[in-house]
Amino acid sequence: MSTPSPETPRARRLSPWPFVILAAAVAAALLPYYANVSHFVLSIFMQATTYAIAVLGMVVVLGYAGQINLAQAAFFGFGAYGVALGTVSYGLSFWVSLAIGTCVAGLAGGILGLTTLRLGGHYLAMITISFQQIFDLVAVNWIEVTHGPDGIAGIPRPSLLGHELSDDRAYLLLCAGVLYALIVAVWYLPRTRLGRAMRGVRENELAAEVVGVHTLRTKVIAFTMSAALGGIGGGLYAGGFAYISPDNFNFQRAIEFLSMVLLGGAQSPFGGALGTTLLILLPEWLKEMPPSLQFIKDVYLVIYGLAVILIMVFMPEGIWGLLRNAWAKVSRVVPVDTAGVEPLNLDITVTETTPLLRLEGLQKHFGGLKAVDGVDLEVKRGTVHALIGPNGSGKTTTLNVVNGIYKPTGGRIIIDGIDVSQKPPHERAAHGLGRTFQNIRLFPSMSALENVIVGAQRDNNPIGRGGNALRARAMSALEFVGLADKAGTIVRSLPYGHQRLVEIARALAGHPKLLLLDEPAAGLNQTEKMELVELLKKLRSGHGLTIFLIDHDMGLVEKVSDRISVLNFGRKIADGTPQEVLHHPDVIAAYLGDANAAA
Amino acid sequence: MPLLELRGVASYYGSVQALKDVSLSVQAGEVVTLLGANGAGKSSTLRTISGLLRPARGEVWFDGRPIHAMSPEKIVRLGISHVPEGRRIFPGLTVRENIMLGTSNRRRLAKKQMEDEVAGMFEIFPAIKPFENALGWTLSGGQQQMLAVARGLMAKPKLLLLDEPSLGLAPVIVQQLFATIREIHRRGTTILLVEQNANMALSVADRGYVLETGVMKVEGTPAELLGNEEVRAAYLGGHG
Repeated sequence: MSTPSPETPRARRLSPWPFVILAAAVAAALLPYYANVSHFVLSIFMQATTYAIAVLGMVVVLGYAGQINLAQAAFFGFGAYGVALGTVSYGLSFWVSLAIGTCVAGLAGGILGLTTLRLGGHYLAMITISFQQIFDLVAVNWIEVTHGPDGIAGIPRPSLLGHELSDDRAYLLLCAGVLYALIVAVWYLPRTRLGRAMRGVRENELAAEVVGVHTLRTKVIAFTMSAALGGIGGGLYAGGFAYISPDNFNFQRAIEFLSMVLLGGAQSPFGGALGTTLLILLPEWLKEMPPSLQFIKDVYLVIYGLAVILIMVFMPEGIWGLLRNAWAKVSRVVPVDTAGVEPLNLDITVTETTPLLRLEGLQKHFGGLKAVDGVDLEVKRGTVHALIGPNGSGKTTTLNVVNGIYKPTGGRIIIDGIDVSQKPPHERAAHGLGRTFQNIRLFPSMSALENVIVGAQRDNNPIGRGGNALRARAMSALEFVGLADKAGTIVRSLPYGHQRLVEIARALAGHPKLLLLDEPAAGLNQTEKMELVELLKKLRSGHGLTIFLIDHDMGLVEKVSDRISVLNFGRKIADGTPQEVLHHPDVIAAYLGDANAAA
Repeated sequence: MPLLELRGVASYYGSVQALKDVSLSVQAGEVVTLLGANGAGKSSTLRTISGLLRPARGEVWFDGRPIHAMSPEKIVRLGISHVPEGRRIFPGLTVRENIMLGTSNRRRLAKKQMEDEVAGMFEIFPAIKPFENALGWTLSGGQQQMLAVARGLMAKPKLLLLDEPSLGLAPVIVQQLFATIREIHRRGTTILLVEQNANMALSVADRGYVLETGVMKVEGTPAELLGNEEVRAAYLGGHG
């Protein structure tokens, strides 16, 4: 399975050549002038390239993973102090010092990332601000080590392959080369397993966790990478300017990094680099105004601030986002190649005869509300089992406890013989549990294909881990639900019913043993419901897949279910075959009402 | 003169065309239903009427004046209330506060009358009465749907736009909901209804339209639509 046949739709090969050609073209265009550039201009670009490396970190943590970080200046500072202290105070080589500074920055970033376990949004913003302030205070006050506000001077520049880089021109080339290499790396990141996980966390963290993304680990890695990029930028900055002091790394600098990434466009490394360059050149340009416009010099901070506000209001995705959207309008959408898509393999070997899912005395209380109040239930292997009941009877809560979004107040959940009651959702996904949500939870700004690939890349997926295998699996799942031709469409622009199908495809791509469907027929018309019935029958027939579903459409439930359980006020009031349950007087009274009118 | 009239409306989401050519009219006092497959443009039609989507071509007239260039707030004040699909409730407000916010288009509403009308909503939806003072997000999906419909009804609009009101509701509640729709219609509210449960929708409607990929295809009375083979095959589940 890990060796795709030639017909398998391959991941679009990401060729490195455009980047090589771009670099060569820029170099060829600029080199003739390079010898004549003034030292003032060189130092501005040295600032721009080193800042841009730190801003790439913001692209990763904010643009890709969607986590706010207002401490990037502190990580920049770790790298800078690493180089300064390593070379000046301890006599280490520049490269060793840079490596130490970067590692310390990455470590600090990882620790900060761990706080996202409990905190998000504005709390995370507060934590990162506090971290930034602590860094600033330590740098100013721990005079024996950091030399305090006086800073550290005389930082040497390194040599590379026997060439001394003490000259500004040579050192700037080094910075530009490192920046470019990192831009390319950050550009590739979203197309990798890790990058997709980060974007999933940004788009819908709960859904990402449920389809098998270890969301905490992903966020910690994003913070670590972001901080390490900050450290590299800071280290090169220290070498470039030979002198550093705490006011290079304070909260204001962190806000500048944030402005740069938002202005340029947080979703792309090119956006980050562009924003950095503009915000460094803008003040210089305003300062260079002729004497008649001298007043501008006095109010340039105001103009700077206004420009940033205006750009954010009119280009919320930054300059790069604006360019990309404009390009998307004029360029033709390239349809995804659907030739050679293999049929979806859903086979589960059923050897055991014990129930696949067993709930034992399951309870979930919210304060005084007993949403689920002692439910015992068994779902047999290879069957379709429906859970019905009035609105608010605890059906969705039961599903949420089964897949780990809620910890049970009491009782146990056993899936395939293993007690998963205390396991987080991504581990249950790795154990073969898939699900869809009542109020569709997709990754709205990713394509249908990317959404489904995130589902395919869960741990322990028998299809393997390679990019081609994941893509082939995702295409098969989309084909299975009849949406292969929509693979390249951004899911936000798909109609409701198709979004439901993409969600089912995402769950199927993970090759689940047990599939939980929360109101799959909601929002479908009669004809589409009949198609869904066919789809569910196709899922069940001989694959060994077990389905546990909630729906209010009794026609559908009756057609597809082997067994039905009924909840009311958090308790099971009936359990049996569709025939038995749908004629049960309690069920009719509590739920069905006048059955004829409901048809 | 119809209360609402759309003439050759086309609308886009960014570069995606949602409506190509939609013309329809709703007379005062009618219940009209829009049928069609997912992606046909039913919700987009409602969004275009309520001003959430600005038409690129065509005109929307309401109560004798063009409204296609007006802001959503202005359109609400003219007497159009839109209950969108997908339970857009205020999660951090209580159920009672959510319902009361439905009256924000009505000036000078006496406190006593507001209380009475809120009590009336709890009579229609007794299932959410016990949660009167609970926060919106604590309700289950179906209960949130009831809350969204109740809030829309509080606007006492001339024209009520309902987008899939039965989504996620238990069968017994769906029956109550449609009884309620008949009741508010009897009291004089004009209703434009989008509903996947086409048989149910046609049971309350005076007329229906069928949309297909952004184009108005068929118009007729429920009897005509139910008798139309093509319509039956496509949207009513064949012989169902």
